[in-house]
Amino acid sequence: MLEKTGRDAKPVDLAKWSETAPRYSETKRMISVFAGRPLPVIGFVIIALLILVAIFAPFLAPYPPNQMDIINKLQPPNTTHLLGTDSLGRDTLSRIIYGSRTSLIIGISVIAISSAVGIALGLFAAYFGGVIYHVIMRFMDALMAFPMLLLALLVASLLGAGMKNIIIALGIGMIAAPCRLMCGVVLSVKQNDYVMSARAMGMSNLRLMLQEILPNAFPPLLVMITIGLGAVILAEAGLSFLGIGITPPTATWGGMVNDGYKFVMTSPVLAISPGIAIMLVVFGFNMLGDGLRDALDPKLRGVI
Amino acid sequence: MNQENPGNVIEIKNLRMYFPITRGLLRRRVGEIKAVDDVSFAIKKNETLGLVGESGCGKTTTGRCILRLYKPTAGEIRFNGTDISGMNENRLRLFRSNMGAIFQDPYGSLNPRQTARTIVGMPLIVHGMNDKRQQNNRVEELFKLVGLDASMMTRVPHEFSGGQRQRLGIARALACQPALIICDEPVSALDVSIQAQIINLLEELQEKLGLTYLFIAHDLSVVQHISNRVAVMYLGRIIEIANSRELYENPLHPYTKALLSAVPVPNPVIERKRTRTVLKGEVPSPAAPPPGCHFNPRCNLATPDCAESSPELRDTGNGHQVACFKVQA
Repeated sequence: MLEKTGRDAKPVDLAKWSETAPRYSETKRMISVFAGRPLPVIGFVIIALLILVAIFAPFLAPYPPNQMDIINKLQPPNTTHLLGTDSLGRDTLSRIIYGSRTSLIIGISVIAISSAVGIALGLFAAYFGGVIYHVIMRFMDALMAFPMLLLALLVASLLGAGMKNIIIALGIGMIAAPCRLMCGVVLSVKQNDYVMSARAMGMSNLRLMLQEILPNAFPPLLVMITIGLGAVILAEAGLSFLGIGITPPTATWGGMVNDGYKFVMTSPVLAISPGIAIMLVVFGFNMLGDGLRDALDPKLRGVI
Repeated sequence: MNQENPGNVIEIKNLRMYFPITRGLLRRRVGEIKAVDDVSFAIKKNETLGLVGESGCGKTTTGRCILRLYKPTAGEIRFNGTDISGMNENRLRLFRSNMGAIFQDPYGSLNPRQTARTIVGMPLIVHGMNDKRQQNNRVEELFKLVGLDASMMTRVPHEFSGGQRQRLGIARALACQPALIICDEPVSALDVSIQAQIINLLEELQEKLGLTYLFIAHDLSVVQHISNRVAVMYLGRIIEIANSRELYENPLHPYTKALLSAVPVPNPVIERKRTRTVLKGEVPSPAAPPPGCHFNPRCNLATPDCAESSPELRDTGNGHQVACFKVQA
């Protein structure tokens, strides 16, 4: 703390050392934590690009996604078709661009439905315990025991194929994971003294759950949600392959991988390019999730 | 109100708290832990009652029963004459503003995701002070009261030191101007110099605001310093209760004597001459307490009839109560 050593060292003026550290606004701190490291920024850029591409697809795509040109089918990448054409002569790049819409809509709506329901059920189960806990969690066990594809097949055979039904099928199938995670986290969070203190001051159950427990239980879920987005995009691809997904000819990345893998020896670009798109988006969501988790954690103030 | 002594803020009568031990899929009840077993005491307004005992003797459970964080198995808890032991959850929620609680762990008792302002102001919000300006003024006032700078209001708990965090806990407990504060080992997680600060703060606040404390601790010298009266617990029962001075100078129960003999004296001459009573054995399990007087297997005065029936607290004069057959009144 002393600026110089030896005889002419001046004592530090203690009045200057105020007890409080200089304050920055919390939003500024979050942004600086988030933007201070490369990976979250890369993730953010990928997701932002994805959203932009999905919105402006008609302007970006060089061809309409379903325009067939049988004479020029299975072309390798060239100047007129940057990523070549598929077995029906459709432009791969255009289909990837339009496919981002399907992926994004399905990914976001499925995750929104499944996490909202899953988080609410998990919170209730763990907070109230007892019979409520057992009923909800045994139900989740049953849901988990079903392979998700089988469940989706069941829903699709009841409701028929199509975007809306896919969202419902996957949404139900994905409830169990966030519910179980939430339940586990809440069981540990509710042991904290601050929860007991909130009860002692007379806080209502709902407020206690939403204000004291949920914010402390949320970070692991944030990561799970972003990883889940990738999983949903993959699951949709699987369903499309089984013919109960999005009905052709609507462009979806999963469907394109499944169409393209038959030609993987002759034109590998067909399967690989939508595969890379899926991979990039999943990676982007994961990095975004990681970055958000760190930025939202006040315990890391000053550490990162 | 059928109150026996109007000067008492709280009166506990025959409080029992048994926790069931369950086993198997059907949660069959195979036994119970008698954490608190027939405890009675009262605290007068403006008084501090110290509650001491070793780990697992039920002192924290007693505190939590009074806060009604647990629903007691039996007994009465009269707060200013109103029995709250069987009160339903909705009435209790409004009633809770009458009692404050300070917890042991200043790290765990503050929500890490809320700012200091929200933490201290939360009881106000819960009990219906909706005006933001009014709230803010009260929080500022509380900060000043516990010796924290108002400029720290926007910090989160992680940015405070242990002592400052405990001050936040105290500010929160005081927010609704409660009549009674349950301090559950408020200083045992702090280092010694900070302990002294916090204890002085508690004493100062008591004088200024006319507070009543139940001070739960295991550190005998801390309890002696802050308490007017001290109750000693052993295995769910109060075995001796007396004026703080009286208890330390003239302990009657063999357990209290052994406890006090374990406190080192900061004077080498006396310390060397001091004879220590070392208790033999371990504390028995509260799931299967020994018959009769709970202390009899470890007691140096015990005779076979101590295992036959359990002694009641009886007055030996001057409000000094002890539960032992062998102590002459």
